[in-house]
Amino acid sequence: MKHPVVIVCAGGGGVGKTTASAAFALALAKSGYRALIVSIDPARRLADAMGVELGTQARELSLDSGNGQLFGLMPDPEDALRTFVEFLFAEEPEALARLLDNRLYRALEAAVPGIHEVATISLTWRAITEHEVDAVVIDTAPSRNAVDFITYPKRLAKLLGGRAVGWMAAIGKRTSVVPQEDKMGRVEQLLVRALGPVARDVAGLFSEMARVRKRFILLNEHTSDLLLRPETRYYPVASPTAAARDDVDYLIKKLAKLDIAPRALILNSAFVPERGWVDVLEESGETTPAIDDVLSTLNDERSTRNRAASRITEAFSKRYPILPQLRLPFVESVEPRSIVHTLSQSFDIAALLQR
Amino acid sequence: MFVTGKGGVGKTTVAAGLALAAAEAEGEAVYVEFGDGAGARRVLRDRPSGLEHVVLDPSKAVAKAAAPVFGSATLAKLALDNFAMRPLIRAAPAVRELGVLELARQVVAEHPGKRVVFDMPATGHSVAWLKVARQGRELTGRGPIHDLCAKLEAELISPGHASIVVVTLPERLVLWETLTLCETVEQEVGLSVDRLVVNRVPHAPPDNALADAVAMSNIDGPVGEAAQKLTELLSIRDAVRKQVMEALDETVHRYGEEKGGDTGLTLLPYASTDPTARTVAEWLRNAGAA
Repeated sequence: MKHPVVIVCAGGGGVGKTTASAAFALALAKSGYRALIVSIDPARRLADAMGVELGTQARELSLDSGNGQLFGLMPDPEDALRTFVEFLFAEEPEALARLLDNRLYRALEAAVPGIHEVATISLTWRAITEHEVDAVVIDTAPSRNAVDFITYPKRLAKLLGGRAVGWMAAIGKRTSVVPQEDKMGRVEQLLVRALGPVARDVAGLFSEMARVRKRFILLNEHTSDLLLRPETRYYPVASPTAAARDDVDYLIKKLAKLDIAPRALILNSAFVPERGWVDVLEESGETTPAIDDVLSTLNDERSTRNRAASRITEAFSKRYPILPQLRLPFVESVEPRSIVHTLSQSFDIAALLQR
Repeated sequence: MFVTGKGGVGKTTVAAGLALAAAEAEGEAVYVEFGDGAGARRVLRDRPSGLEHVVLDPSKAVAKAAAPVFGSATLAKLALDNFAMRPLIRAAPAVRELGVLELARQVVAEHPGKRVVFDMPATGHSVAWLKVARQGRELTGRGPIHDLCAKLEAELISPGHASIVVVTLPERLVLWETLTLCETVEQEVGLSVDRLVVNRVPHAPPDNALADAVAMSNIDGPVGEAAQKLTELLSIRDAVRKQVMEALDETVHRYGEEKGGDTGLTLLPYASTDPTARTVAEWLRNAGAA
């Protein structure tokens, strides 16, 4: 399989990350890519931004112009795990039935942090293969810890590929009827005592997972391959607030620990476009008091927003002098979809992908 | 008091504002954040002496919380710090959340009688961290983990001890998510939301601005064209504001009716620069929310 261009947009909440990711994907599609936009954000923002229903199966979205294609994927946190597990256990129906009946699995099924991300990534891999996608934009969860999931597949693979599985499964056998503590080592005894009766479910879960270990590890290798290749492109997204700035700093540090250098910073609402008409109205001598009031508010807003935006631009230029900044305009519209279309014009794909 | 909500809604400022207001009203209060302490550095620069600031590190939570489960720190290390458990803890969901809750419980136990305000980490939109104690207790049935979970429920997450403040934004989608979050907290955690804080509510423009702009756009030439632009912008803002108010009405009223009106609703104004905790404390006091 030819590797697609992989783009990961990450940042704190409320910075317009989903809108920026959707605009990026739309720009890719317009310049000829078969692009896929994936949202891990459990909110329905992506569906709203694209103006369509999206779900666990990737579907094609319409383009107004350009010769590429755009697909969208937004798994529901509620079904993502189920879909993922059914995929893993496709050849082991009996093990699947036992797993679905495991108390611990049932407790995990309710959206647990981490699981949704891994499930989404595995669905992304499937969508890439199915639709021969050559560019993927991943919109991560709205949290400064959003990139933690990058190492999650590796942690899971390590867990399932290591000695721990056999060891836990063995505990399961010994606790299956009556706990036979005399046959266990000290550590095993400690664990079984701490966990209580659930030790059996933990062990059960492990032995089912051990059955599909190979498939699991392979899938997780694909996942790491998608997210940890040096070619994978990371873009922190910020808006002009101190919280967003702190989140980006935190994120860049985390990425550095993974040996990942971001390609560019995406700054949302980085400037309010010139409004020449405000001056025309102010100088017309025809305004009413209500309009004067609105115009002065608009001017205040514009200068406050632009000041905040230049502060953040300067702060980032100082901290990350070689990191390019993609500054997006502040856009107002009733339809989120039209904001995405407007922003997509700011993405110069050829230039962005050269960096 | 747990202050929760999705990321980017201004949770930290509201939590710090509530803690500050409590410290001023009651003499003493504790503001707890998870992570590196950046929240307080940003919004609580002039912290009064009555307000204690605690920073909890979620990555160390499991190790710290495990000692009572296994009987001692040494036994905990023996049980958890080995080839099998290290990767399990790193990979297993909910383990860390349980650790974080136990650290929170310890902070509350160390400050009897004081108001402790937790600025909870943004965990997407889930309230998984609030549910883990009940889940853990029901799942284990007996044993030290069961006891830990039961203790968390009794001392930290019980209606008598805990109150929940949900911070949200005046956006249609965010409000609907918030409603779901409130219902989940109630049904699955057994706690009710004491207060909904809707942050950054935009100011309405003067009543006749739109009509005046429409009238002006009838003028021929550049002034009329400029007025046309203003009309467009005002119409967009008007429509967005209407959407928000409708969503706010529906969500808040629906939730309020189901609950018999126990949930307080506080609207905080939009400010073009980040307000400090002191400003927010004043807004909250004026709104009767602190």
